Amino acid sequence: MASLEIRNITKVFNKHQAVDNISLSVMDGEFVVLLGPSGCGKSTLLRMIAGLEMPTQGDIVIGNRVVTQLQPKDRDIAMVFQNYALYPHLTIYENIAFPLRIRAWKNDKVDEKVRWAANMLEIVDLFERKPREISGGQRQRCALARSLVRDPSVFLLDEPLSNLDAKLRHSSRDQLREFQERVGMTSIYVTHDQTEAMALGDRIVVMDQGRIRQVGTPQEIYERPADTFVATFIGTPPMNLVETASQTIGFRPENFLPRTFFPDGQDLVTLPFRSQRVEYLGDERLFYGATEGPLPATRIVARVPSTLKEHVALKEVTMFAVLRSELSYFDLGSGTALVAAVEPAATMEGGSLHG
Amino acid sequence: MADAAVAMRGDRYVAYMTLLPSAIILLLLVAVPTVTVVVLSLQEVGLGERGGPFVGLANFASVLTSETFYRALFNSFVWVFGSVSLDMLLGLGIALLLNKTFVGRGVARAIALVPYLIPTVVAVLVWRYMFHDIVGVLNFLLMKVGVIDQPLLWLNSRSMAMLSVILVGAWKFFPFVVLGLLGILQSIPQEQYESARIDGASGWQQFSRITLPNLMPVFLLAAMLRTIWTFHKFDIIYLLTGGGPMDATTTLPVLVYHKAFVDFEIGNAAAIAIITGLILSILLSVYFVLIKRAEDKQ
Repeated sequence: MASLEIRNITKVFNKHQAVDNISLSVMDGEFVVLLGPSGCGKSTLLRMIAGLEMPTQGDIVIGNRVVTQLQPKDRDIAMVFQNYALYPHLTIYENIAFPLRIRAWKNDKVDEKVRWAANMLEIVDLFERKPREISGGQRQRCALARSLVRDPSVFLLDEPLSNLDAKLRHSSRDQLREFQERVGMTSIYVTHDQTEAMALGDRIVVMDQGRIRQVGTPQEIYERPADTFVATFIGTPPMNLVETASQTIGFRPENFLPRTFFPDGQDLVTLPFRSQRVEYLGDERLFYGATEGPLPATRIVARVPSTLKEHVALKEVTMFAVLRSELSYFDLGSGTALVAAVEPAATMEGGSLHG
Repeated sequence: MADAAVAMRGDRYVAYMTLLPSAIILLLLVAVPTVTVVVLSLQEVGLGERGGPFVGLANFASVLTSETFYRALFNSFVWVFGSVSLDMLLGLGIALLLNKTFVGRGVARAIALVPYLIPTVVAVLVWRYMFHDIVGVLNFLLMKVGVIDQPLLWLNSRSMAMLSVILVGAWKFFPFVVLGLLGILQSIPQEQYESARIDGASGWQQFSRITLPNLMPVFLLAAMLRTIWTFHKFDIIYLLTGGGPMDATTTLPVLVYHKAFVDFEIGNAAAIAIITGLILSILLSVYFVLIKRAEDKQ
């Protein structure tokens, strides 16, 4: 295992800036997730780490070696692809053995290593099958086993769960993380799925348009988004953003609850909310509506646990509130988070903003 | 229940009626000629005659004891093996080239198909000019480069004629192989190669361990089709050499033609045609086994 450092990496494809001056340090054994919408440059960044693409500028350091100019095979990395890239004509055993056969290892050494990897992923009983004869989840584990047999320093995973159905994705995610912790491998994982990113990452790197928007633990990213992009990209439904004259104020739908829910004496910001539509999701209700003065009317979602029996009448105005400590503040123009917020009471004119 | 049975009978009626036209066409085009040939092979028949005296297996006996037949059989194998292996190799090589990214690839792909699209008669006439001893461009170029110092008799020497027809056969049909293989090449996921590169596979290893196994079923299928078609190819050889010089390029189909329309021995020709068919079936069963095996590997 080894640490990984990305130094001022830029990639330009035909004048299109796919990756724009990115720097990032990944510690030995850390699981880092690159998260972003499609086209944000996360896969390109991963492919540059793998050596499948050459950066236009910048350096990549694995362990204490600069590998920027090295061939993929000399970088001591392994990669798991979205479609697993298993060889259809080879058995699962031979697929896992492939990297060792390429290196002309002796048969007994190959066998030992293949069995070790397959044991780790519990696919020994699939040895004689062909990739098309096994399930998507098994294929994914086979691809992982193949990447494991070479004892690489860094694992690169390109959306390895996105070809699985929802249920399998959940269990595979769990197994993957458990496996990663057991092996202690330095891993870079690319996904566009925020749930996957939150569940797997020691740290998440949120990317957009070739740039890093925020690097942090899942909790930091969720609770203290660095800008309005991160605030709205993470969370389903995304963070509510309300623009005032001087700044943008954000709060999570689950923190925005009927006023009557809060005991008195808490530092609250109260907003009149007209609910237009409700989605009943079993464990919670999502109320879609808009704020009604004194702020400019803004579309807002409230996420109310079903255990809260407070009645919210549709088409009518109900007083909702959010704890002042749960508010995030962003610069109006740039959308960047403001560390020391302007006192919200001063900007949100009108008495209804007081708790 | 009764209604259902009636409806079922009605459905079956419609089914048979819709199948009938194709069944009749197949019967007329395949079964009737086949039976006719079998019947003819058992008779002594001259050209233009409906039938003749029944001679049992005498035609087969005379064919199987004649030197001409074995020479034609040998020629057929040389022709099929030479032409098919050459156009498979050429097709594979060109398909691999056309799968690379380069400027003008679309045009190159279109050009590669040209031989397949030119009518055989036209192609053969052009090749006959190119093969010409004195005014032919092949001899001109080879002498200019210095490979040979006197003109080769491409079509008129026993040693060169077979090589010449093989060249034309391979040239005419390699685009078919290119078409089939290029389709498969384009469908191999790029990630298989990228994964292999990360694992340290060399260019040759990527070719032998990824490209070739992926190609194999279609490669064999193409080889089988080419073998069938080449085995009864008549026009290219007949138009180029007429089966000569002497009988250097007389393959089984050319021999059948000679027997029937030069020697007027229809019964004899029919017997050769049947034997040719049997040999081809044996060749095909070998291919079927190979293809099945290659597909099982997938």
